[in-house]
Amino acid sequence: MQQYASLFRRLRPGSGRSSPARLALAVAVALATLSVACASPAPAADHAAAERGYRGVMLPAPVEKPATVLTTTSGEPYDLRERTRGQVTLLFFGYANCPDVCPVHMANIATVLQRMPYDQVQRVTVVFVTVDPERDTPEKLRPWLDRFDPRFVALTGDTATLNAAQRELGVSPAVREEVGGASGYAMAHAAQVYAFTRDGLAHIVYPFGTRQADWAHDLPRLVEEGWGATPAASSRSGSTPDGSTPAVEGGGTGAVVTGGGR
Amino acid sequence: MNAVQWWCSARGVSWEWKWQPYPGVWLFVAVLAGIYWWLARRGGEPEEGRESRAMHSGRAVAAVLGIVSLWLTLDWPVGTMGAGYLAGVHAIQFVMLAMVVPPLLLLGIRPAALERLAAHRGWLGFVRLVTTPLLAMVLFTAAMVITHVPRVVDRLMASQPGSFVLDMAWLLSGLVFWWPLMVRVPRRARFVPPLRMVYLFFGTLAHVFIAMWLLLSPFPVYATYELAPPFPFPGLDPLIDQQVAGGVMLLVGSPLVLVAISIIFFRWLGTGEERPRTGPGTSSTGSTPTSAAAIGGGASAG
Repeated sequence: MQQYASLFRRLRPGSGRSSPARLALAVAVALATLSVACASPAPAADHAAAERGYRGVMLPAPVEKPATVLTTTSGEPYDLRERTRGQVTLLFFGYANCPDVCPVHMANIATVLQRMPYDQVQRVTVVFVTVDPERDTPEKLRPWLDRFDPRFVALTGDTATLNAAQRELGVSPAVREEVGGASGYAMAHAAQVYAFTRDGLAHIVYPFGTRQADWAHDLPRLVEEGWGATPAASSRSGSTPDGSTPAVEGGGTGAVVTGGGR
Repeated sequence: MNAVQWWCSARGVSWEWKWQPYPGVWLFVAVLAGIYWWLARRGGEPEEGRESRAMHSGRAVAAVLGIVSLWLTLDWPVGTMGAGYLAGVHAIQFVMLAMVVPPLLLLGIRPAALERLAAHRGWLGFVRLVTTPLLAMVLFTAAMVITHVPRVVDRLMASQPGSFVLDMAWLLSGLVFWWPLMVRVPRRARFVPPLRMVYLFFGTLAHVFIAMWLLLSPFPVYATYELAPPFPFPGLDPLIDQQVAGGVMLLVGSPLVLVAISIIFFRWLGTGEERPRTGPGTSSTGSTPTSAAAIGGGASAG
């Protein structure tokens, strides 16, 4: 900044003939410098994921799809592993009363899916599992999810089953938090979307903050090139994908939100 | 639940139609109104031959409109929505703070205040330098571009001081940009109407490109709005909201510029203003007792 100070001293009124052009140039350079200094660094990309060309966060070890049977909003049993076998499956635990994280995730995924080629979309299943079965009745959950995409699968179950499914993923089961007011209570739940590839494993998760551009970048890759897309790739099932530095500790528990803030 | 904020910023909480106080906004607007009131008191009644009573009233109306517009733009609900929920409302704030409020505030300055400014060599020198058209144009353009860079916006909007800086950047750069067009202190004899039109056109060109960029981007560019708790307005997803923002900048901002250019053009045609007065004697250094003028200079009392 020293050079700018001296430049401004030389150009200030009364210190001789100032040149607006020179001052304009100096101001432009100073502002450009300021903007660079002001700009936050790019979000820390996950190196392991970035090395593979993904923008999500690589899990230290792949996580198996929960072996659970939940219930659809039409009351039918839904065997998660069986019904999503061979599909890229985006699994998220949330609740319809969630004010921020859940609707933002669902909206962003839905928007990106709408723009992907039909044949790729057919190979993606989005599964939303409620962590608030008490309020998320089928009559409430289905219309809520339809606002984003009617193809999204909405699942519910009893609390024990839901908790077991979350534990299988390595995350703490959602807990109820009293917040008062009209909403009554919020649910503290994991904020990341698990992306299961065709090998039935989640190698990458997408925390809250994942942008539409990130989904648009990664989803076609997960469909076309993701683990399990080729026999060679699927043979790695059950092992750390590339032995690179783990990015998420503790099995990718990631951020836990209460639905009250970011 | 909602702690009092002094300035609107993105908070990441769900929108609710519940009034919130912003003491910083009130203080800022009150100080500005106080300054105008003080200047008006010191200016006294309009004198015969100096400025007509109608012009005098017009300036008062412009000042009041400018201050009220500023207040409405910064306070709840517009300020709150624009800071953390809707890019479209943020764009309205931009148009107001950079394109509407500054000319109104400048038009509302009394001639007597400008005469006092002209008599103060230090202030006059500063104003002359900062409002040199080339520099003013660079400042305004730079402010526009920098305050629309996604990383800068997302970072600034997340805090009250940052949000304040963003709003002030628009307002102050707008005042600097509009000053040479609206105020004749210091007098710039060579800044003739054709140059003023060119100045307006090129000075506001950046916002056309920014608007087009917002309109044509395939994804939301600002995390602040993309990841904000959804605003309860059916069908308004972040991308549509961003396109609304681009549309506001293009369809509201650009016509304002065209109107301003038209005023300059027709005043120039109608009065022949500036042309007979470009002799060496008019290249004033500011000591000429002159006053504010509307765009195009038709209202100059100097």
